[in-house]
Amino acid sequence: MGKRILIEDQIRRNKQLTIIICTFMALLFIAVVFAFGYIFFNNIYIALAFGLPIALVYVGITYSFSVQTVLSAAKARPANPRIREEKLLIYKVEEMAIAAGLPTPKVYVQDSENINAFATGKKPEKSIICVTTGALNKLKTDELEGVMGHEMSHIKNYDILIATVTIAVVGTIALISEILFYSLFWGGAGRGRKSEGNAILLVLAILLIILAPIFSRLTYLMISRRREYLADSNGAYLTRNPEGLAKALEKIKTDLPSEKPKGSKTVAPLYIANPFKRSGSSKGSIWATHPPIDERIRRLRSM
Amino acid sequence: MLLWIGIIVVIIIAFFALIYWGFYNKIIRTENRIDNSWAQIDVQLRRRADLIPNLMETVKGYMKHEREVLENVTKARSALMSAKTPQENINADNMLTGALKSLFAVSENYPDLKANQNFLNLQDELTHTEDKIAYSRQHYNDSVLSYNNTIETFPGLWFAKRMNRKTKEMLEIPEASKELPKVSF
Repeated sequence: MGKRILIEDQIRRNKQLTIIICTFMALLFIAVVFAFGYIFFNNIYIALAFGLPIALVYVGITYSFSVQTVLSAAKARPANPRIREEKLLIYKVEEMAIAAGLPTPKVYVQDSENINAFATGKKPEKSIICVTTGALNKLKTDELEGVMGHEMSHIKNYDILIATVTIAVVGTIALISEILFYSLFWGGAGRGRKSEGNAILLVLAILLIILAPIFSRLTYLMISRRREYLADSNGAYLTRNPEGLAKALEKIKTDLPSEKPKGSKTVAPLYIANPFKRSGSSKGSIWATHPPIDERIRRLRSM
Repeated sequence: MLLWIGIIVVIIIAFFALIYWGFYNKIIRTENRIDNSWAQIDVQLRRRADLIPNLMETVKGYMKHEREVLENVTKARSALMSAKTPQENINADNMLTGALKSLFAVSENYPDLKANQNFLNLQDELTHTEDKIAYSRQHYNDSVLSYNNTIETFPGLWFAKRMNRKTKEMLEIPEASKELPKVSF
């Protein structure tokens, strides 16, 4: 067992790392936009003038439709209080909402044998938690409570907003990158440029635009993993019982996906464990949306 | 030259004004959260008290001879209705929890009662309100901690003195009664 870490300290550290990583992402975005402007117009501010609105519109649209998209992709239905298990689930969600000081989210259920849950919603006051029937059947009360604490923390920490904005920024960077590629093939850069400009800077700018999509994606995944750790630690704080979530994660680890998950991969980070992963491989990789399960369990048990 | 000094002074004043604004609001906000979380506890306590008459109606036909257990529940409920301070409320609720625990333990002897859907629903709901009260208390104490941290650390400390704010007390959770409920056969 690792050294004991106060839950509060874990929470603070996760938050600080998120800020650092998000700042990096913002700087990357600005750098890409400037590079684009430099290559095409020899003027970085024009690009900012049209890059920023694109990003904002992208974010706005995905955010507005985020709830419907996720719910219909998962084919979720509202929880039925007449079924005792689902009634007790609604109770659990209410209790976690009280502990977090938020209004109770709407509760949905997804018919699936796998143990999983996700949260969505435009703001903490109007959010939704969805749990699979597999989770209701296979998890004990304290384990389900741990998972609900985790989801409630995602809602309270605005993780849905952060994920949406970050993905939109990644998308915009990819879009800009694509525009550049096509124009390099067909138009040639330098259209509209008045002077030669610095050749080295030009090369650097092009390099930046080629590599930026990869870096931004990696950064987004880093943010996603950091927020998962934060939701784990905040969730443990809400329930005052890290062991509950730890046990649930252990069950999830050995719960092999039996059917092809529905929906596109972008919804993966909202789930408590990546539903698109093949077999129970728990080793981490920089391409993972979620941290390795063993490490999450270890951190929970060291609280 | 004078202009520069003037600008710097304005910036410094604006800086301090922002800090003042920020901390004043933070103290108010953390204080309001405490009041809000107490209101939550109160709502749950009322709900609990309201469920009891229904429960009594349901069980009294079956548990005619368990007078002491039933009376304890009724007494605890009256204590809850007449409690005034937050701590009194919590203590009374704890007593009610103990009395209910005895009642539900004794109900194990009455299979007819255990098959009664109304009784089962009430049992679920009463357990649920217990949990809600426990979490409301937890949130109350979290809010108090947040508030106390704000007014005890620097520079919140300075604001607290000027706004005449004192640290608040957390709710004590009384020791749950350790004795096992007596079940007579």
